[in-house]
Amino acid sequence: MVYRIADNVLTPLGATTEENYEALKSGRSALSSYASYSGRKEDDYIASRFSDEQKKKLMVKGLTWFESLIYHSVKTALSGCDIDLASSRTLFVVSTTKTNIDQLSSPDYDKIQPAASAKRIAELLGICTQPIVVCNACISGVAAIITAQRMLNAGSYDTAIVVGCDVISHFVVSGFQSLKAMSPEPCRPFDIERLGLNLGEAAATLILGCQTKTDTGWQIVNGALRNDAYHISSPSPKGEGCASAIQYVTKGVDLQTLSAVNVHGTATMYNDQMESKAIAASGLSEIPMNTLKGYFGHTLGASGILETIITMHSVAHGELLGTKGFSEIGVSGRVNISAQPMPISKQSFVKVISGFGGCNAAVYCALNAPSPSQQYTANTYSVEHHVRITSPSDLTEIYKQQIGNYPKFYKMDKLCQLGFIASELLLKQENPRKEQCADRAVVLFNHSSSVWVDREYERTIEVGEDYFPSPSLFVYTLPNIVCGEIALRNGYHSETSFYILNTKDEELMHNVLASTFNDQSLQSIIAGWLDYKDEGNFEADFKLITKK
Amino acid sequence: MEELILELKKKIIQALNLEEMSPDDIDTDDALFGEGLGLDSIDALELIVLMEKDYGIKLANPAEGKAIFKSVRTIAEYVSQNRKK
Repeated sequence: MVYRIADNVLTPLGATTEENYEALKSGRSALSSYASYSGRKEDDYIASRFSDEQKKKLMVKGLTWFESLIYHSVKTALSGCDIDLASSRTLFVVSTTKTNIDQLSSPDYDKIQPAASAKRIAELLGICTQPIVVCNACISGVAAIITAQRMLNAGSYDTAIVVGCDVISHFVVSGFQSLKAMSPEPCRPFDIERLGLNLGEAAATLILGCQTKTDTGWQIVNGALRNDAYHISSPSPKGEGCASAIQYVTKGVDLQTLSAVNVHGTATMYNDQMESKAIAASGLSEIPMNTLKGYFGHTLGASGILETIITMHSVAHGELLGTKGFSEIGVSGRVNISAQPMPISKQSFVKVISGFGGCNAAVYCALNAPSPSQQYTANTYSVEHHVRITSPSDLTEIYKQQIGNYPKFYKMDKLCQLGFIASELLLKQENPRKEQCADRAVVLFNHSSSVWVDREYERTIEVGEDYFPSPSLFVYTLPNIVCGEIALRNGYHSETSFYILNTKDEELMHNVLASTFNDQSLQSIIAGWLDYKDEGNFEADFKLITKK
Repeated sequence: MEELILELKKKIIQALNLEEMSPDDIDTDDALFGEGLGLDSIDALELIVLMEKDYGIKLANPAEGKAIFKSVRTIAEYVSQNRKK
């Protein structure tokens, strides 16, 4: 069983979970107005940011701002815990969307890319194992908790330190602005007059462990990831993927025993509407529901972890925090939401989250729950088909010669084109080719994240006469979009996950894949390595694996 | 107007990476979104960028652009009346 050992939330509202919780209880929000990076008044934005004074205090010599936040959050969470950091059975999982993207133009950027950055922090903390970076757009935080829970259940580790973080940067702010997703005022989740989201910077740490001695404390009971296979940046209007994730984690749970649902609630038109539909379709309309975006903004990679931790504390205190910014209901699915705190008495909740690439996730957590009867069983798989493409190869030529008839190929960034081609060539070997199903996942790994398209997008935000941030390039700066493209092409309504590792570590990838089959609905996975650094350095090494 | 229509078709093909298409393949009056050319929400956002970049026309959001982006003809009509460059 996987239990919470300790946690930390580090935001502009406080350096500990307790400080943050007290701030929320008194109704404080970290959202405030900031001048634009572009120098144009119309690009001014609302966000939750650390003050210069806080930043000065938190910066660690030799680390970037992103790394400093993670370092402080993990250190604080660890204080008072007795954890053998140097053990080969201690896992470090980092959840982030854009890591050190604010340093993209630095000549040393290679050294601070996601996996390298995670490794540096791990070493500084004294953790010896290879870190896993979960990069699944906005659902990364919940996805990281689920990955850790599965890896612990599989018996490969005793303890997992799961930390999520993202920082505010010109790159991310301009990107969300190009998508017309940013609210010009503090966000109003689920409200009839909601205008979009606000971004926030934060770090949050959840330390998890396998405990056999005692069954008290918060238990991460079950988690699921589901893709809409609808569109790479818009959620399915009915929220099928979101509903499917909720329904998987609440299967067998008496819904009357749920204290609360903490949703994503970004305050964009589409997200909140879709979530309301998914909540109603899952029979959770009566359960007290809230979202924390009105306090912290959308903290991207930190969000899923931060919000899970705050909800644990909230449920333990018997009070669900009010949804700040909400006033009049503006969604069509029935939900139990209030701007005021709601008293709650039971001891379990569901955390829900959705993101670009069509991905959704849910995790079910329970306090002092009896051990579930279903025990973890070790999973093995067999490799059915295999394909490998490396540089130098002309991707467009391969597409034209061997695939064709999918004009969307030309809209994709290089990472997606490479992944799309590899998946098509892999599936050509399958007879009959499986389409429209809910039992096949797409799980990919790489080293270079989305660096090629990151640089392409960066060119569109050079401040000057020609300042036109490109929405289509920005969407592809999330590497997990390729999993969404493959799910969309084939109608796979199941898990899609993207991980960043320091090296093509076959053993670590094998462990992640084997534990992915812990999702009982899965029968097969399109799995593999997918790295695109530049046109002279790329590799796709895909396998179709099936559960034994 | 015909000249502007051709120019717009070329620009749309380039901005939206409609690689295997030529201006002749785009019917001036066909729907750009949904059934017709099958453009999506990200394409709509790229069209907003195109309008500002090439014609100095600022649109706040895709909802505002909905009527304008109906077909190449509606875009051409709007551009000819509102262009600032």
